[in-house]
Amino acid sequence: MGSNVASKRLFQEYKSLLTNPVDGISAGPLNEDDLFIWEALIQGPEGTPYEGGIFPAELRFPRDYPLNPPKMKFLGEIWHPNVYTNGEVCISILHPPGDDPNHYESASERWSPIQSVEKILISVMSMLAEPNDESPANVEAAKMWRERRSDFEKKVREGVRRSLGL
Amino acid sequence: MSSALDEEASISIPSLAFVAVLGYFIYRYFFSSSPGSGTDGSQTFSSRSAGLRFTPAQVDQIAQMFPQLNRRDIMWDLHRNRGSVQATTERVLMGRGLDPAPPSFQPPISFMTTTTSSLPSSPLTLAASKPSPPDLITRYNLQSKVNSKGKEREEETPPPGWASSKEARQRMLQRRREEMILAARRKLEEKDAAGTPATAPPSTS
Repeated sequence: MGSNVASKRLFQEYKSLLTNPVDGISAGPLNEDDLFIWEALIQGPEGTPYEGGIFPAELRFPRDYPLNPPKMKFLGEIWHPNVYTNGEVCISILHPPGDDPNHYESASERWSPIQSVEKILISVMSMLAEPNDESPANVEAAKMWRERRSDFEKKVREGVRRSLGL
Repeated sequence: MSSALDEEASISIPSLAFVAVLGYFIYRYFFSSSPGSGTDGSQTFSSRSAGLRFTPAQVDQIAQMFPQLNRRDIMWDLHRNRGSVQATTERVLMGRGLDPAPPSFQPPISFMTTTTSSLPSSPLTLAASKPSPPDLITRYNLQSKVNSKGKEREEETPPPGWASSKEARQRMLQRRREEMILAARRKLEEKDAAGTPATAPPSTS
């Protein structure tokens, strides 16, 4: 029954994303028979080294969605302080409520059922524009971002080109 | 009086020697124990996690099966059933879900991260050994569209909307994805062409 609520909610979010698409974002279930696995494309924000890039990501929703947040994982290469080298995204909106024993994040930043896929993707877009190097997921990338910004940007741009087959 | 002085001196020499020997042993005790502090550290670690009745491997095993579960909750459940992966798995499969871990439950930080996510510590070797993921053109089978895109570049972007049939929706979403990728590629190619007019953009006119 719980997953029935989740399916309904996911279907509704899918519908609203298709009817009112957000600029630079496309997202939907990989296959409508399983609404719990989505694929999203996120455009690199303008004015950042990610500009011009398209970043595919997978979202996996828990059966008790929207009580708990999905997990998000970039499928292609992406060099970013808040993305693990395996592609997993680490931002506060993807953290379940009450999950931060270190009190880095306030409850309002974390996941709650009033958030949505759209909000997650928009947060991820702004994460691309403004990395948070306080709790890096990719330490190497965070260090590069902090200390050698031009090298960092070059590496990101090269990744963008490679991902578009150029 | 002089005998008293003698006595005092005769007492103090052996006692000094004794203090020196004692001091040596104390020094040796601390000195020799410090190189072993590596094992010491792991001992304190294991004794700290001895209160826990599961291993990180078990947590990983369940986390891999059910990526939607919270690691803390997995650990809390494993802790309560004394590390029975099977019991936790069954519990999840029965749809009962896991109880949220109480805030007082504080597993070691090292348990919180998966063994795979500890990989960032060696990103260079990882990057070298891991084949880079396929580019978007390959991933979404866009080779033919990349080459023959001249004619269909205007009419592509599907209008936003909702189709009643599942297939139509699926197609719409796919077209949107493809168009995003192709547009990004075109833009980059145009930028290349504008930036370096000497070299012609590859494969397109």
